[in-house]
Amino acid sequence: MNRKIGVYICHCGGNISDYVDVEKVKQAVVNDDGVFLAKTTMFACGDANQKEMVEDIRNNGLDGVIVASCSPKLHLLTFRAVSERAGLNKYNYVHANIREQVSWAHSDNKAGATDKAIQIVKSAIAKVRLAEPLMPFRFPAVKAVAIAGGGISGMRAALGLSDMGCPVYLIEKSPFFGGRTSQWDVLYTSGQTGGQMVSELYGELLKRENVKLLTGAEIISGSGNIGDFKLKVRVTPRYVPENCNGDKLNESIAACPVELPDEFNFNLTKRKAIYRNHPGQFPQTAVIDMTSCTRCGECEKICPEIDLSQEEEIIDINAGSVLVATGFDPYTPADGEFGYGLSDRVITLPEFKRLIELNDSGLVHKGRRVRKIAYIYCVGSRQPEGDNKYCSRYCCTSVIHSAIQAKKKFGDITGYHFTRGIRTYGKQELLYAESLKGGEIYLQSYEDDPPVVEVNENSLKVRINDILTGIREVSVEPDLVVLVTGMVPRADNSVGALFKLPKGRDSFFNEIHMKLRPVETVIDGIIICGACQGPKNITESVNSALSAAVKSFSLVNRGELEMEPIVATIDEETCEWCGACYEACPFDAIRKTVKGTREIAEINNSVCKGCGICLPVCPVDAIELTAYSNREIESMIDALAGSYPIMTTK
Amino acid sequence: MASINTEYGRDLRKYGGFDFNACYNCGTCTAVCSLSTEEDSFPREMVRFSVLGMEDDIKSSLKPWLCYYCGECTTHCPQTANPGELMMSLRRWLTSVYDWTGLSGLLYRFLPATVTAMILAAAAVIAFSASRDFNLPEIMKAGHYFEMIAIGTVLAVIFIPNLIRMWWFTMLKPGIKVPAANYFKAAADLFIHMFTQKRARDCEDNNFRWLEHFLLVIGYLALLFTTVVLDWFSSSSLFVIILGYLVSAIVFIVTIDFVSGRIRKKKEVSRFSHASDWMFVVWLVLMGLSAFAVRLFIDLGWLENNLWLYLLHLTVLVQWALIIVPFGKWTHFLYRSFAMYFHSVKSQVK
Repeated sequence: MNRKIGVYICHCGGNISDYVDVEKVKQAVVNDDGVFLAKTTMFACGDANQKEMVEDIRNNGLDGVIVASCSPKLHLLTFRAVSERAGLNKYNYVHANIREQVSWAHSDNKAGATDKAIQIVKSAIAKVRLAEPLMPFRFPAVKAVAIAGGGISGMRAALGLSDMGCPVYLIEKSPFFGGRTSQWDVLYTSGQTGGQMVSELYGELLKRENVKLLTGAEIISGSGNIGDFKLKVRVTPRYVPENCNGDKLNESIAACPVELPDEFNFNLTKRKAIYRNHPGQFPQTAVIDMTSCTRCGECEKICPEIDLSQEEEIIDINAGSVLVATGFDPYTPADGEFGYGLSDRVITLPEFKRLIELNDSGLVHKGRRVRKIAYIYCVGSRQPEGDNKYCSRYCCTSVIHSAIQAKKKFGDITGYHFTRGIRTYGKQELLYAESLKGGEIYLQSYEDDPPVVEVNENSLKVRINDILTGIREVSVEPDLVVLVTGMVPRADNSVGALFKLPKGRDSFFNEIHMKLRPVETVIDGIIICGACQGPKNITESVNSALSAAVKSFSLVNRGELEMEPIVATIDEETCEWCGACYEACPFDAIRKTVKGTREIAEINNSVCKGCGICLPVCPVDAIELTAYSNREIESMIDALAGSYPIMTTK
Repeated sequence: MASINTEYGRDLRKYGGFDFNACYNCGTCTAVCSLSTEEDSFPREMVRFSVLGMEDDIKSSLKPWLCYYCGECTTHCPQTANPGELMMSLRRWLTSVYDWTGLSGLLYRFLPATVTAMILAAAAVIAFSASRDFNLPEIMKAGHYFEMIAIGTVLAVIFIPNLIRMWWFTMLKPGIKVPAANYFKAAADLFIHMFTQKRARDCEDNNFRWLEHFLLVIGYLALLFTTVVLDWFSSSSLFVIILGYLVSAIVFIVTIDFVSGRIRKKKEVSRFSHASDWMFVVWLVLMGLSAFAVRLFIDLGWLENNLWLYLLHLTVLVQWALIIVPFGKWTHFLYRSFAMYFHSVKSQVK
């Protein structure tokens, strides 16, 4: 029981004292049991008062401190730090909110506000009397980070972590690193191609001894918690060794009888079951796609090094933190959406970008020369209905840049942009200006009146009620319609499902706080970055990747983690394991264990967040929350309601 | 439904329009324009029509004529899309659309054609003079007759049919129904705008330019009257002689200021000059100056020995009357006044 309590009541300039008689509050508590001193102060958070508090605590040996001021969200940490500076355990500090909960809420009733402030301070005193000093939990953290996804974000994060001296496992599900970036040709603003950028990163990664690169690797199970994640990864072999290359490899590929659409080129071209990387995909060794390989052996005849008997292996990875960078899928329009699927001359933006790269002289699509292109914006983004209400951010810039590239490369092309308003923010605005000056035509419609694509036997027609021309209907007959598709979450949610990563309303992975904790998830130790978190361009993805790298590193670099000691505790005698708490826990922090002959619940302290949701569901009241024990809460309720008249309204 | 036609924009470039494609439709131009109103809002709409190539809409519009080119829009355009100069080129384009002969368009788009026509006109003057053995009194008499015949012919053959075409494009074809009485009620507006250009005074800080322009119009018309009706060069009335000196001086002094403005390029209105703009102001200077000099030489008794001066004057006059007046920038005097007239006729419906 703490007997030397200091109480500080803040004026907050006048925010509090204009409505609450702070002197009266002081007088009402100064003689309470255990209160050693009570003071009012103009600004409790001010430097002078903080120093005075430190001196008071030191000189008088206070064992409990209360500041009655604003919301604890604002200054709880400030005054905990004051206590620590004075040598008092920070959990012996209790915060009382008499601004948001009193003066601001009851500015019409000064007497009542003062009464309520007294009750709140008294309840804080009741709590601090029972407060115990607590020490943070410490447990070991494995100094290694596993990264799921070998696209631009994953690769850049791996490099960042490696630079800081952290061992990294870069786990890529497909046979090649580079992700979506390797599919893009020249990029704005660097002028490099996606392939060149990926090649640069890959070259760097190869030099790092502390980076383990895994392709064809799928995380099949994950367990453990922050500091100690245990992953099982299934690695599919390539079947083609590095020494099968050059002409020999080309002949093997030519010999393969299996032909299937090449997803790298969005099915615009075909590939074989044995295939090599595209420029910008790494490693440079070829691979056999066993899901379509018939094991006919034709390739082995030419290149005997090919080993179809290679088997997949399961490897175990132990990492202190997992960085998720699984990226996005381009939106696939529904059948008939702006003529998609009705005409082979209606394609998506990613397909168009590949088409530009695949053509050399003159833009040809399905055997036809293309000169007029209609670009239809916001397909699958900014939709009034459904999940895709968000803006995909990259598409305006990407399509305008692609249109300029196409014009530069093929010369005789005019683009007609059917937009919902252009969002080429920042430096990208220059591209828009360049495009306008180059004679591209921009039209705009409202979300409830989108452009219409008419698919006729030999022609296409796009019409729009153009709001820039006084909502007049204008039309164009293009040779090609490009649907400017945005980003959607990966259809493959295996990694998210494994770690129960929460998703936002847009179905992308959710961070804790968009502004202040932009790469952390509510699952401790799991960090997200890149486009798996929401639409981002490469610049933004790399920004988030580097911030994720630093965040992951900060969790594992000391080899030890500190956690808040406020967690749920199980009374082993009372608990009868009914599973109610296990069902209720949103963080998977409770499991069944056997104590002697009895089954009881056990709390994983490194996962428990101290949210307290398990407490009310326990039918036998066997769970307590540190610092919020039944005794403490009950004593607060007594102080609030029992010993003082209920607040009356005027 | 209008079909987008990017060719139109390319064509408009030959009439002097440039960079209007850069427009991102913010509407600043329309917001800063002192003449644009809610009912008749420009120039953004015209920029938009030009970008999309909506020829019919431009053809039926009087708006290009409602602009008196103060240049505020161009000054404030964040995309430097030059809406002011675009409006100017639309007026050139409309002039060539109204012109049934098609010569207007040819001369605007194709500078060599203009130069050739000018040379031919000069050659005709020389040839005619030679056929008269360079007999000064005879040539001067012919010059005087030429003026009268040219005015009558241009009016009957070119202007009246073109004005009817303008009326057809802007009033009849778009199906604007107005009671015939409106044409009488609005008649006063035709003359007020023709002789005063009072609307230009509403342009920002434009009073001096308006005054100059007003003096030029009055001076020009008075010079025309003095030479054609009062036969200045042959008159012995002191009043007529002094009047002639005065009005011809007004013409060349004001236009010299216009020419120097176009050289200095300080004001938005004179920053961009199409060949037709140069020709218009330079020939006005030459007209005023050569007429002034001819009369001066007559009064000093020098003209007999300086036939070349009268030939120069006659050449300038012929080029002016046969090329610049019927097919060049001169027509804006007429079309703008009629645009204001038709606009007034339309407005009275509401």
